Amino acid sequence: MMRGRAPTRDEKSLAWALWALAFAALWLTESAVGYTRDESVYFIAAEGYASWFRQLFQSPARALTDAAIVRAWDYNHEHPVLMKTLFGLSHLLFHTGLGWLRSATAFRLPAFALAALIPALSFLLGSAMYGRLAGLFAAFAFMLVPRQYFNAEMACFDVPVAAMWLLVVYCFWRALEDVRWGLWCGVAFGLTLATKHNALFLPFVLTPFALWRAYSASEGQPEARAWLGRFVGVFTAVAVFYGLLVLSLGGGEGFQRKFLLLSPHTLLFAGLAVGGAWVLKGVDKVNAPVTRALVPIAAMAVLGPVIFYLHWPYLWHQPVDRTAWYLAFHAKHNHYAWFYLNQLLREPPFPLAYVVVKTALTVPTSLFVPMVTGLAALVARMVLGAFARTRAWVERPVTMTEALVCVNAVTSILIISHPQVPHFGGVKHWFPSMVFLGILAGAAVARGCTALWERLKVKWPSLPQAAVAVPVFAVLLAPALVYSVRVFPYGTAAYSELAGGLPGAATLGMQRQFWSSHVTGVLPWINANAKRGARLFLHEVHGGSFRDYQRNGMLRSDLRAVGSPADADIVAYQYHQEFREHEFLTWQAFGTRTPVTGLYVDETPQVVVYVRPEAR
Amino acid sequence: MRSPSLTRALPLVELGGLLLVALLCLLFHLRLPGRLPSEADYRAVAERLQAEAQPGDAVLLFPWWAERARIFVPASLPVYGYLGSDRDDLSAHPRIWVLGQPELPRSDEAGFLEAFLPGRRAVGAPSRHGTLTLALHENGRHRPRRFTATDAYARARVYLEQPDGTRRDCPFDGKAHRCPGPAHLYVAPEWHEILYEPRRCLWMHAPGGKQRLVAELDGVPGGLGLRLEGGIIFEHAFPRDSRLSTTHLGVDDAASGARLLSLAIPPGLEGVQKAEVRLPQGAPHTVKVWVQADNADRRQVCLDVLAVEPEVGVRG
Repeated sequence: MMRGRAPTRDEKSLAWALWALAFAALWLTESAVGYTRDESVYFIAAEGYASWFRQLFQSPARALTDAAIVRAWDYNHEHPVLMKTLFGLSHLLFHTGLGWLRSATAFRLPAFALAALIPALSFLLGSAMYGRLAGLFAAFAFMLVPRQYFNAEMACFDVPVAAMWLLVVYCFWRALEDVRWGLWCGVAFGLTLATKHNALFLPFVLTPFALWRAYSASEGQPEARAWLGRFVGVFTAVAVFYGLLVLSLGGGEGFQRKFLLLSPHTLLFAGLAVGGAWVLKGVDKVNAPVTRALVPIAAMAVLGPVIFYLHWPYLWHQPVDRTAWYLAFHAKHNHYAWFYLNQLLREPPFPLAYVVVKTALTVPTSLFVPMVTGLAALVARMVLGAFARTRAWVERPVTMTEALVCVNAVTSILIISHPQVPHFGGVKHWFPSMVFLGILAGAAVARGCTALWERLKVKWPSLPQAAVAVPVFAVLLAPALVYSVRVFPYGTAAYSELAGGLPGAATLGMQRQFWSSHVTGVLPWINANAKRGARLFLHEVHGGSFRDYQRNGMLRSDLRAVGSPADADIVAYQYHQEFREHEFLTWQAFGTRTPVTGLYVDETPQVVVYVRPEAR
Repeated sequence: MRSPSLTRALPLVELGGLLLVALLCLLFHLRLPGRLPSEADYRAVAERLQAEAQPGDAVLLFPWWAERARIFVPASLPVYGYLGSDRDDLSAHPRIWVLGQPELPRSDEAGFLEAFLPGRRAVGAPSRHGTLTLALHENGRHRPRRFTATDAYARARVYLEQPDGTRRDCPFDGKAHRCPGPAHLYVAPEWHEILYEPRRCLWMHAPGGKQRLVAELDGVPGGLGLRLEGGIIFEHAFPRDSRLSTTHLGVDDAASGARLLSLAIPPGLEGVQKAEVRLPQGAPHTVKVWVQADNADRRQVCLDVLAVEPEVGVRG
């Protein structure tokens, strides 16, 4: 049985408190976090997009021309723009307009708001499924993973899309008891599409559950079953017609070329919307639970593409070609070199176990183990419950909600585990899975706490559950907190106790760090020691990041960026296994192999600083 | 049917396991700072090296990545630490100081010694400086060098040589022998990476086509091992793209034209390639060191030619 459940008043209050706590923590700690390569690109994009909104306000007719749109929105059109637009508007308001926040903080603020949704929604879902303890543990389990916390600080998309993914699943689940949430599910899906392309997988995850629920809810009701068949028929027919259209037009390119406002393509989409609505109206007369199961799917199918189109001005004049380019970009994404178990991975096929190993070596072990036991217990219950001989061993059968969480916990991990999928970027590409693994970890901890509490209550009947839960939470969360504090703000260097921390991971031959933001560890030294107007080569640091460090007062404004060690007075080399040549080029250019300082986190070289001897 | 007591016990067992793991994790974090060296430890090591190191000595890092030591080790001492350096012969050095951090998590000292110790002998007792250990070893794999092309390069005659023997000179400008044509066609010693290993070697980018880039070197002593060591630098060795071509390196006897050594580096072959031959006794030789690749794209060669004595072995 799967049904959504509205939160109680207390749960709502706690969820808000968790949101506020996460938001405040992220805001209070963000100034130490450097600007990753991607983030500075998004800063630039966000500013450009915000300037278009100004133009829209001042000169709407001109702003709405394709030329004006392309001028403002062409930059970084490999990603949809919901988050970048929010970053830009926040910057426009809080930095440029009101002057309340420094530039970077103003950009990042919307990211904090989205990231803070994760603990709040994890709590609500976890609490509804397994009780408050599970929900609370799930909330902490996400934010106390150092790499996740680090990414939550960024004006990027990986944590926001994990939050949006969770929101879609939450809306889907709530829709099973309240049909209005089905429409919200469609809206949330559209916004998730507007956040990052991970969202494209969501319908494949949710549709089977919707059909399963509709099928089971229509059992013994032939009329409802018939309407369900029509619903599937409408969607299947549209899919088949689209397939035939592709074939008849000579493949994808022909399909794309002939995709006009008035074309069979749009007609089919309109048919889907009308047909879907007709079926839902019909089924609603005979079986409300079936309607509630199907509304989210119809809403996602119709509202998703519409919201995606509307949110992105870049698509307004040329939706088909530009969307096709966007999808093709991600289908054929570059592979960046990545160091893994003493091997430099440069191209597929990548190791199948990569995602699991990387997760095990980066998530604090005291959180990773309950995630594993939580998932294993759920899978065991599913397997044992599937056979008549073992069914009696299972105390309570697995609910559809649990199955939903389980599938979401493994989906992103399975997708990224595919050997042909790019494997760079640390762990960020499977954050949506980590949210649901956190809920399963919460389930594992909660059942232990409850069992212990029940055992102790025999002796001390008045013992409150908190007397058990508080010390258990303290012991389980303390290592993750200590580890998070220890490695902050160098999030991409975080390795768990299982890895042996950073030193252990270095010996194992794991990627030491990436994305360049750890350069903040040597900026104070550079500010204090560089001669006036010195030429600075910040290896791997994007030109935009250099500007942002100066703009935010983290790097002296008289220092000049140069593009190679040969032109530099000071080099800050980022230790990457694939970039060893760059350090040796510095030896060559400076005539020395002796660094002057560096950022060594738990002994591992992260950023190594050289000064040209004659420039000292 | 599963017994009710087992059903009740499982969550408790699970919780017990989780708490145990968490306590072990906490212990790990509490112990970690004590397993890391302080700046004072490094300074103590540097003082000992300053006092006791001899010209020709080298420092080898264990684990290989613990490079913070570079800041402190006297600049006159070369420091080795790269992925694979545990097995490096370090044949240029008669003595090696191993600067170790055996207390770091996952430090596999036994594994390191298994790779490092063969052909070497500890000299005296290792010293401890906080969590750092410093141990001197006699390097039995040392091969005294009587000639290295990177040292002799300034006296070389460098030219581009066509298959028919016609030459275009690459005049020496005080730093490099620069050839006519693209800016990368020159010969000079430089630091480069060949499969993570830093090497100071002769930059000799293949010129492309059938022509060869040649460095002619005099004074190579006879009766020794003549070694050619080289490879494609950085990431350029990795691609197996069929449009790339095999790079050929070689050493010819200038007088007789005989091929003394040659290496073929096909696309995708990474690392330093090595070849050795024993030069006949007699007067010093003049050798032609050359590089050729039909397609010069990504054929960025760095090489060295050495005349070396046999391994010295360890005493006792």
